[in-house]
Formats: sequence, C-alpha cells, structure tokens
Amino acid sequence: MKKLQLKEEHVQHLITLPENGMGYQVVDITLKGGNILKKRVVLNSNLLLLEANEDIDPNSIERIELTKSNASKA
Amino acid sequence: MFFKTSRYEQFLHLDETGMGYQVIEGHRQNKRFKEKFIVYNSELIVEFDKVKEFKQRTKTEKYSRILNEAQVIYFVKDTISLVPRNKITELRTLNEAKRRDKHRYPNGKGAADNKEEEVNTDGKEVFVRLSAYENDRRIDFVKKKLVRGTYTTTYNDYYVCVKDDDDPIDRYALPNDENVKWAFYVRPNKSDIVQRGIVQPLFGHDGGGIETFFKYGTSENTYYKKTPYGVLAP
Repeated sequence: MKKLQLKEEHVQHLITLPENGMGYQVVDITLKGGNILKKRVVLNSNLLLLEANEDIDPNSIERIELTKSNASKA
Repeated sequence: MFFKTSRYEQFLHLDETGMGYQVIEGHRQNKRFKEKFIVYNSELIVEFDKVKEFKQRTKTEKYSRILNEAQVIYFVKDTISLVPRNKITELRTLNEAKRRDKHRYPNGKGAADNKEEEVNTDGKEVFVRLSAYENDRRIDFVKKKLVRGTYTTTYNDYYVCVKDDDDPIDRYALPNDENVKWAFYVRPNKSDIVQRGIVQPLFGHDGGGIETFFKYGTSENTYYKKTPYGVLAP
C-alpha cells in the first residue's frame, strides 16, 4: 500500500472528525471531477492509503467526509 | 489444525454455506466452549482461524493427502449447528492461544457502542495511544490534550500487549501494517468522558484488545509524554 499526504486544509477538517479506531478514519473522497472514492482509510488524519497501482493528485480532492455507516459508529 | 470426522453424516443434514463448504459451530470434546469451523465436502474440518494455513497447504499438497493426515475430531452430541450467513462477514474467532497467552477478549462491543461515562478513576488512570507516527495529529501538543473523537487503549492493556509480546497491529486491528513506534501517554481528568470496549475484528485482524474512545477529547494538560513503543513508564 502507498500513502498519500493530504493537503493541510483536508487534514485540518479530518482532525475535527472522529476516528473509527486508534489512528485511522474511514472516509469517502469526492474528487473535483465528481467521482467518489468510497470507504478509504486515512491514517493519522493526514495519510490516505492507496493501492499500489493507484495514483491520486492531492489537488484533485474536492472534499473528504467520514463514510456514513462508519460515521454512525462514532 | 485440520481434522476429519468418522461420522460425516452429521454434516449432511446441514445446508451448505457456499459451494462445497459449511461454516459450523460446535463443541468438541474436552473443550469448554463452542468453536467455529469450516467443513469442506462434509469431511475435512478446519478451525476457522486456520483457513489461511489450509489454503496455503492446498497449494503444495493434494486435498486427499491433507485429509488422510488429518486427525479425527469428536464433537459433543447435538452441539453442531450452522452459522447463519449474515454472521459470517468479518467472522473471525480468537483462537484459544491468543485468548490465553495474549490475554485477548473474545467478546464484547466496540467502545463507540458502549455508554459514555466519566473516567472517574481518581484522575490517576493512564491511557495510551499507539501510533506509527511521531507527529500524531490527534494530539493537540499545544494544549496537551486529545482532540475530539480520538481512540486510545488503557495503559493496562498496553502493558499486557508489551509483556505478552503480542502484536499490536493484530490486537488493535490497525489498517496499516507499519510497525507501531510510539506510545503517547494521557492522564485524563476524572470528569473527562470515555467509552470503553473491545477492539472488533477488522482489516483481517482479530482485535480483542481494549479500546477507549474520547468522543469529546480530553481536558487541557492531560497529554504528558511519549515514549518509543515497548517502553513501560506510566
């Protein structure tokens, strides 16, 4: 797995949201093109886990929110 | 461990869970509790948490040989039942060795599903947050507190994890396999609110450690130090 450093504005937003377990959050990521990446794991509120063959530009991320089913857990 | 039965007919009256296999629960003789197994072809029985080893072995050995070498298993009469399909997602059972040797908890709800309560332990109870990262973003290092919605474990569970040489990634069901390098120590005020629970199986890990959730964070000046993982110094 690769890790992508998120932009500080997204990090600051994630810090205001609850964790799903020690050190991680499960999130849905909306890209600027409209695509939504569902149930992704962010470590330490700042590192997005990516598959080895996946490439995402942090500038292409529009919005990050907790995945709803998991958000309700917290 | 792989087993076979001398009474294969005891599985024939049960529906299959999937093509060629059944997930069952049974009470084998000389055991104090029920365990879960996968039964292949109503004849070869594999402990639920040994499926990975079984699959690995089938890559190098023929099924018939594995079956031949399997030990016969005996269940207490009328204790075998099928595990419903809707309970099989993320179904993992802690094996006896983990329960016993690593002091994992086999049952219980996650922290977020348990009631909120004041820490209320004379302001002396210590909680530990484990992380692969020294710059833990869930700790406000200026105000020396946990931010809202942050998980930790208890110092006592961390102590057990280290003393038992347990794997923290499996015990706390962490999503990344990077080594845990840091332990951040927090001593909340007695009126800080906490929810306590058991780490649920997730990300292919068993969990079974203690998790504590601070929905509202902790008071200022409650975070007081960090150490490398493995150091026990509350």
